Amino acid sequence: MSQTRDHDHDAHAPIQGSDQVSEFEILEKAVRELAIEKGLFSEEDHRRFSEWAESIGPSGGSKLVAKAWTDPDFKARLLADGTEACKEVGIDWLDPTGTGPPSDYTYFYVLQNTPTVHNVIVCTLCSCYPRPVLGMSPDWYRTPNYRRRLVRWPREVLAEFGLHFGPDVEVRVHDSNQKSRFMVMPMRPEGTEGWTEEQLEAIVTRDTMIGVALPQADWTASGPPSAAKANA
Amino acid sequence: MSARKYAIGDRVTVRDATTLFHTRTQAFTRGRTGTIVEFRPDWVIPEDEAWGRDDAERGGRYEPFYVVRFRQVDLWPNYTGFDIDTLETEASERWLQPADPETKE
Repeated sequence: MSQTRDHDHDAHAPIQGSDQVSEFEILEKAVRELAIEKGLFSEEDHRRFSEWAESIGPSGGSKLVAKAWTDPDFKARLLADGTEACKEVGIDWLDPTGTGPPSDYTYFYVLQNTPTVHNVIVCTLCSCYPRPVLGMSPDWYRTPNYRRRLVRWPREVLAEFGLHFGPDVEVRVHDSNQKSRFMVMPMRPEGTEGWTEEQLEAIVTRDTMIGVALPQADWTASGPPSAAKANA
Repeated sequence: MSARKYAIGDRVTVRDATTLFHTRTQAFTRGRTGTIVEFRPDWVIPEDEAWGRDDAERGGRYEPFYVVRFRQVDLWPNYTGFDIDTLETEASERWLQPADPETKE
C-alpha cells in the first residue's frame, strides 16, 4: 500500500490483514485449480457454491426446534434419529450441499435441555459444527479461546455470554471430537403459549442451539437489540 | 462388526497412550475415568483415516465407538464449577480400558 492519498492515515493503527497463508489454504487452492483445469467445475461454479454455502444460516435448526416444541411425536423422532428427522424440514444431512456426503460430519444428534441439564457444544480439536442445520459457525466458536476454555471453565465462559446457572443445573459440555455433530434443543420459554411454529422459529436463534444462550419471547435476532427493546 | 467390549454404565479410563501421528483423543481425557453413556456405530478409527484409509477397502479399521461422560471434577484439578457438571466426548474402543475398581464413582 503506497501512501499516495492525501488523507490522514495516522488516526488509527493499520488494520492487520492476515498475510500468512496456512498449508490448508495452499492445499485447497492447489486442488481447486487442478479441478478447474481438468474441467470438473468452473471458477463460476466454485464461486456460486461458496456464495450459497456461506449463506446457509441457522433457520434449519430453528425449524427443527420449533416443530419439536409443538409436535411431541416429531420431538421423539428428532431425539431418536436426528439425521432422519431433518428430512422432515427439507434438510438431507447426508447430502447437505447436493454434491454428495461430506467426509467428516455424518452423524447428527440433538441434545435436549431439561430443567436440570444444560447442554453446550464445542470442538476442542478444530471447529466441528452442525453446518447443514446451523450454517457457518460464528467466528468466536472457532477461536482457541472458546475451544480451550469452554471445556475447562464452562460456567465462566457461559457467564461471559450472560448465561448463569445455579448448582441445581448440570452444565454438560459436548466436545464433538469424532464423527458426530450436535445441536442443542433449548427449552421452550414462558410467554410463548399459543404461538405458531413460525413465531417460535424466530426466537430459536443460533446461539440458543450452540448452548451459549436461552431463547426469550422478546428476542429474535432479526433486528438490533435496541429495536427489540423499543417494541417491548 | 466386532462385539462390544463395554456396556452402558461401565466405568472406563482413557488410555494414556503415545501418539506419534494423528489422533482425535484429546490430551485432557487421557488417563481420566468416566462412564459409558451411549453407543456409537463402528467407525473407521481416525488414526487410519488420517492416512487415506477411509474404508475397509483401503485398509481402514472399523471399531466400536462410545460416548464417555466425565465428571468435570475428575477431568480438571481445582475445577471451579459444581460437582454435577459433566463433559461428554466420543472414544474408540482401543483408547479405553476398564477403570480400576478402586476409582471412586
